[in-house]
Amino acid sequence: MILPYVGFMFFCGIIPIGYGILEVRNPSWVNMDGGPETFIKVLQDFRVGPALINVFFIILIFVPLMAVTVLSISLLLDATDLRGNAFIRLLFLIPALIPTGVAVLFWVSVVGPDVVWDHSNIRWFIGSIAFSTGIGSWIVIQYGSLRSIPPEVLEAGIIDGCNRFQLAIRLKLPMISRYVAYMIILLIVSASQIFNEPNLLIFTNMTTDWSLSQIAFSYAFKAADFAGSSALSIMILIPNIILALLFVFFTDFLKKSRNI
Amino acid sequence: MAFFASIPFLWLIKDSGRMIFSPIIYYDNGIFFVWLKNTSIFVGSALLISVLTCITAGFVMAVLDVPFRRFLLFSTLVTMLIPITAMAMPLYVLIDRIHLNNTLLGLTLASSYFPFGAFLSYLYYSSVLPQELVGMGRIDGLTDFGIYRHLGIPLSKSLISIVTFFSFVGLWNSYQLPRVLLIDPSRSVMSIGIEVFYGQGTTLIGIIMLIPSVLLYLASQKTIARGIFSGAMKG
Repeated sequence: MILPYVGFMFFCGIIPIGYGILEVRNPSWVNMDGGPETFIKVLQDFRVGPALINVFFIILIFVPLMAVTVLSISLLLDATDLRGNAFIRLLFLIPALIPTGVAVLFWVSVVGPDVVWDHSNIRWFIGSIAFSTGIGSWIVIQYGSLRSIPPEVLEAGIIDGCNRFQLAIRLKLPMISRYVAYMIILLIVSASQIFNEPNLLIFTNMTTDWSLSQIAFSYAFKAADFAGSSALSIMILIPNIILALLFVFFTDFLKKSRNI
Repeated sequence: MAFFASIPFLWLIKDSGRMIFSPIIYYDNGIFFVWLKNTSIFVGSALLISVLTCITAGFVMAVLDVPFRRFLLFSTLVTMLIPITAMAMPLYVLIDRIHLNNTLLGLTLASSYFPFGAFLSYLYYSSVLPQELVGMGRIDGLTDFGIYRHLGIPLSKSLISIVTFFSFVGLWNSYQLPRVLLIDPSRSVMSIGIEVFYGQGTTLIGIIMLIPSVLLYLASQKTIARGIFSGAMKG
């Protein structure tokens, strides 16, 4: 039953990863001898430092902002029985449904070309696009998980004297904590791999090396340096894998279906 | 906050007066319709494969005793975290080796793996389907497939809705893989082809790209809103 999925996992996941790792052995523009030194040489690329700062900026400022916003809005939508509840959810979701290219042009039009051409605020601008396109899907997921909390549990909380705020903080949030952790990890992953938003702003004379993924892409498809690209991609992947490991070990995510 | 999120939507409405259909429809002898046809074939087939495989995989990993279960789960988690920029180049080489480069079949094969959906399905089944129920099914003589058919699938309405929705949005808007795997413009898909209209026809493009996803969301939102993990926290 699981074989077709495993086939796709190998074809689209494991084999490409293995290929990428093996590719680092080959000679490249950054390291003519090939081998593990490519990792160090790639890190010495003058573009990596500023790109790292950009990515950290998005992770430190926008990921917490997105997580708090998603949870606040989901909890508010769940707690209030508004008539336009479904419409508001759709409104938040719409930016997530628009292709990034169109979303970037929307935002350029909204803030005006002067703001975008003046690159001093570009981190905030790119972060805002990532924010607006990123929260909608998670609101749908977290709202769905909140709706799954059995009403008996909430009624018990009300009988115990909880107001709506206490219900949210003491009951609802702990009950969906696994999904919140899952969301935070995926938000960090997508922020560390941010590519489309800065790449689509090239028309504003922006460099094509704003993020780490852009540099990896330019190694592979501009300089035809697949070894350098693989080395940098693996280094982007390592912190994400550490996060995933922490996530697996500190939650019960890999347990089989529970017993009652 | 709702106002902030709705800015693109308001912009679409404000700008809709400037929509001009003809340059898009008549561009390059109506190539827009070729992109639309290609996208329908690609999204339709990849969606079907990805939803079927990942929901079944989620069920198997959550409920059944399958060899290398932890390895499969961890591989799902890791492959979900890999930057698409890292995958694009090896995938290009693989697709090229099997002579499917620049074909819709190659793009479909490369896009049909949806680990996010498999992990979501795993979470769902591991919460919704208790082992006692599975044990009772076995006492009644059900095989693994029988348990899936009689216990797993009937419980999956909201899961199928949400996995289908997210898989569709991902495929419909996919950018990097089609950009790398489809070189010939006549074999391109909408998300890539429409780039030529950025600037003049952005509003129209936005609306065209938005409509299928919004319709799918509206069609499935009741099952989604009912709670994707319905029953998950009982007990």
